[in-house]
Amino acid sequence: MTQDSSVATLSADATADVPTPVKARSERWSNMLLRDPMAAIAAAILLVVALVAVFGPLLIGESATRGNLALTRLAPFGTAHGWEYFLGSDLLGRSVLGRLILATRTTMSVAVPVVLLSLAIGSIVGMWAGYHRGWRETSAMRLADVILSFPSLLLAVVVLYIYSPNVANIVLILTIARIPIYLRTARAESAELRSRLFVDAARTFGASSGAIIRRHIFPVVLPTLLTVAALDFCYVMLAESSLSFLGIGVQPPDVSWGLMVAQGKSYLRTEWWLSIFPGLAIVITTVSANILAAWVRIATDPGQRWRLTTSRKRRSLRRTVMEAQ
Amino acid sequence: MLTFLRQRVLSSAVPLVVVVLGVFLMARLTGNPASLYLPENATQQMRDEFSRAHGFDKPLLAQMVDYFSGVIRLDFGQSLRTGESASTMALRAYPATLQLATVTMVLAVLLAIVIGSWAALNPNGVADRVSSFMSMTAASVPDFWLAIVGIWIFALTLGMLPTSGVDAGALSWVLPILTLLIRPLGVLTQVVRGAMISALSAPYVKLARSKGADEYRVISRHALRNASPPALTVAGDLAVGLVNGAVVVETIFGWPGIGKLMIDSILERDFAVLQAAVLLTAVTIFALNILIDIGYALLDARVRRKVTA
Amino acid sequence: MTSFPLALRTGRSPAALSLAVLGLVATAGCTVANSSSNESSAQTGTVRIVLPQEPPTLEPCESTLTSTGVVVRSNITEPLLERNPTSGGLEPLLATKWEQSAPNVWTFTLRQGVKFQDGSDFTAEDAVASFDRAVNNSALACTVKGYVFDEDPLVLKAVDATTLTVETKQPDPLLPLRASFVEIVPAETSAKEKVREPVGTGPYKVAKWDAGQKLTLEAFPGYWGDKPGFGRAEYQWRDEGSVRAAMIVNGEADIATNLGSDDGAGDKGIAYPNNETTALRISTGEAPLNDIRIREAIDLSVDRDGIVKTLFANLGKPASQLIGPGVVGYNDALKPTPYDPHRAKQLVAEAKAAGVPVDKQIRLIARTAQFPKIAETVELVQSALADAGLNVKIEMLDTSAQLKYQQKPYPPNAGPYMVLVQHGNQAGDAAFTVDQYYKTDGAQSANGSVELDNMIDKAGALLDDARQVAFADVFKYQNEKIRGFVFIANMSGVLGRGDKVDYHPDAATGDEMRLSQMKPKG
Repeated sequence: MTQDSSVATLSADATADVPTPVKARSERWSNMLLRDPMAAIAAAILLVVALVAVFGPLLIGESATRGNLALTRLAPFGTAHGWEYFLGSDLLGRSVLGRLILATRTTMSVAVPVVLLSLAIGSIVGMWAGYHRGWRETSAMRLADVILSFPSLLLAVVVLYIYSPNVANIVLILTIARIPIYLRTARAESAELRSRLFVDAARTFGASSGAIIRRHIFPVVLPTLLTVAALDFCYVMLAESSLSFLGIGVQPPDVSWGLMVAQGKSYLRTEWWLSIFPGLAIVITTVSANILAAWVRIATDPGQRWRLTTSRKRRSLRRTVMEAQ
Repeated sequence: MLTFLRQRVLSSAVPLVVVVLGVFLMARLTGNPASLYLPENATQQMRDEFSRAHGFDKPLLAQMVDYFSGVIRLDFGQSLRTGESASTMALRAYPATLQLATVTMVLAVLLAIVIGSWAALNPNGVADRVSSFMSMTAASVPDFWLAIVGIWIFALTLGMLPTSGVDAGALSWVLPILTLLIRPLGVLTQVVRGAMISALSAPYVKLARSKGADEYRVISRHALRNASPPALTVAGDLAVGLVNGAVVVETIFGWPGIGKLMIDSILERDFAVLQAAVLLTAVTIFALNILIDIGYALLDARVRRKVTA
Repeated sequence: MTSFPLALRTGRSPAALSLAVLGLVATAGCTVANSSSNESSAQTGTVRIVLPQEPPTLEPCESTLTSTGVVVRSNITEPLLERNPTSGGLEPLLATKWEQSAPNVWTFTLRQGVKFQDGSDFTAEDAVASFDRAVNNSALACTVKGYVFDEDPLVLKAVDATTLTVETKQPDPLLPLRASFVEIVPAETSAKEKVREPVGTGPYKVAKWDAGQKLTLEAFPGYWGDKPGFGRAEYQWRDEGSVRAAMIVNGEADIATNLGSDDGAGDKGIAYPNNETTALRISTGEAPLNDIRIREAIDLSVDRDGIVKTLFANLGKPASQLIGPGVVGYNDALKPTPYDPHRAKQLVAEAKAAGVPVDKQIRLIARTAQFPKIAETVELVQSALADAGLNVKIEMLDTSAQLKYQQKPYPPNAGPYMVLVQHGNQAGDAAFTVDQYYKTDGAQSANGSVELDNMIDKAGALLDDARQVAFADVFKYQNEKIRGFVFIANMSGVLGRGDKVDYHPDAATGDEMRLSQMKPKG
């Protein structure tokens, strides 16, 4: 154990005596990614999702949008009606596969902006509040409390009543609702960091608060925020569907994964594929985002990066040593 | 400590008023409830009378003054739907939610600490990969799936548990808690794992290890305490989510909680009940955050003492 | 118009006495076959019922709300008389006789020896107070008033302890039917505030209401009529149809209401026609919906057979008018419009050539979760209309938002729109439907003509066969000359029934579920 921790210390300092230490810095990210098969698969999945979101609607024919009452409730994995119906059909006889593809763009055009916007706004305000403390911290935190205490459904109904429903509104509502999550996390971490030595040092050298936040606090806070953001993906995708039922945002014939899951839930015991496949799409995308976030977290952490650059053999050797202790 | 508390409570008063005020104003933007509560062919006269009876005809400012002067006298108004006092309805629904939320959070925190720490001991090892994968999946599975599939398996197929309701004592808690637990557990495990990985590579942990402290001690005394602040924040947020209402669970399992009460009163424009319910959950959320802050302060003090010791 | 979260209802109907009688016969046979101890255990037994939602209140004058009425009506409180949903005839309850003693006056002879659950006697004074409270009291604004009675107040008189006279401004042949909607409460019941737990004359009284969890009724020992089959009734509520079905399958409940075909009740689910009709109501004020060719094209684009067969799993029948068979005025000769997408396309093209702005966006407004498969129905209609060449946008709204478009006053500048409505005529007379939907000044009317208004007024003054013929003509006229509605289906409901109870749902079950018709089985 002692040995292991000393190795870790050394690797953090990037000196010799560590397996492939210096190369770690220069090694290309793509190579690093390829060494971690899980992360590589996750990245590939996300790439596919992105491609489908962009080009998917071009690929699919009418089977996704036009009902055919002769082909309703087809079970998945049958080939009798062509590849479009490989994942079955819904109650109106539309291809589930086609609808999944069609829904990717809508889903992503809601989830990605919501997660990125709330992450950006929440973490900036949070770090600022945590770094400065005092009234700035108090007011930011109380603002977060206000948003958290506020039923977002009410916000949604108000928006429905005042504005016409569209995707921008759904993004707005969900972003506001999710900001406190990042705000509070960023605040907690940066408040703790500001008393650390390296921040103190930077301050003594006269660095501006903005620079300190950017250079010293942000890199340390980012990994935690990324973890939270990646997990929030699925939350946003599902929350969006509950707003769709109120008439805000995604409305049929447009479709999103969340809407498909929600509409299909009544048939979970009979036509399970209506809800399970879009649900799987959400789960797989979220898990991929998480794996990639975890990988980024390690890859950007100098103290952890060796884990990605060390070969498997050496790592297992290391583990044997550790377990032997 | 007392000064801190007093200051904290005082600084929460204004935001609380903001919440209630916001809910009050926004609720009134969702339309007059007259058409929901009057007969279909209600005349304009009946509509006017309805508005007058419930004070909706007054200017907003006057309605607000009326409401807040009522609140000061602890009169939160009457439900349009049931005719009961709004505070009675909110207070009745509250314990069910609070009980569920407490049990769920305690379980989630304990399990997450164990699983997350275990995974963090050897990042990217088999245990870590499996538990990470499971917790990520758990965090992204739609909760109504869990609820419906849970009923299907445990109630209908195995006959071990009741489908729903609160009649069957401890057994009726199992499915609601399981359904509620999965997501927070997944999220929290991931957070604990991440924080523990960072903490385990921090200098003082290495120092403790190099001094020959045994692994259990290293984890429990040094690493865990250091990993606690981010976990505490996220746990707090998750708890807030639960206090705000475990709507899916309350709806599917027939737990008469505050989340469902809030949604029903929004959909049925039952403003007084909505305001009372939001005020109640807001107070809880503010109190919860005060507790979290106290938690930070304690952790902070101990962590520092440890490090300097 | 049943639904979530607040179900407003057109009309109501007292339960089927004939079925009650059938039930009695069945139990009697059962009792003979078994020992007499079975009888007493039946009396103390409990029937467990699971509803979609908790009754917001048990106020009898709000019993036109489905969620309230299904518990209160004829269980806790009773009206003077009630309509048999099967035969359509009126049958005595708290009144034994009624007659039109003068053109504007109806005289009711009340039953003697009836006690309220608080021990007091039922007299004409109580009847006067109940009518006054439900119909004349604008402060309480009971929903019964709007449904069944018009704005003119009733003049009520207790001639003696057992005689009530009701005087109307205009002669009203339907007054006894309207009276069947007024639940009788003691004269002491507050006229200023609604009551949550009423006192009535019914076979059951409120025993305990754990708000949010459970409502228990117990048999009222002083009930004037036959003893009901169960000593207690427990109501619970679950939002999800699949959970209600699971409770039946798992033996946790004996009766579950409002199930869908896919909720999984299996052979414990009993389908029954529930008197509801679904239709698209077209607001004919704005182009392109002001063109009758476009309205006909919409009508032709709806594949009713497909919807009923594949979406509704054969629950229901394609509809040709806004009421179902069995309601006075139903026109047998009308047939559902055949599905003809080709002709629809032609009509749209014709209209376009004639300068109708067919590209203008039409809003298709529906209420979320109003009936099972509503979302799928709306999507199917939208896609068929797009094929026909129309530009239709779906808007699924919550109840409150949807009601803005369903009931007058409609919002200004709403553009061309159609509303998916579900209408249930539980009163059994077409007047209750057409006054609301077909007359231009009706509260839920969005089309019509002066000529149709006159036809409706004339039909409303007639009786018996002449009335039937006149209303049948009204429906025919609407379908041919106005085309303001695209009828979809006469709906059916599914009731979950466990093995331990004997009960047969009828058209009125959704609004009024008589516990006295439920008998223990075996």
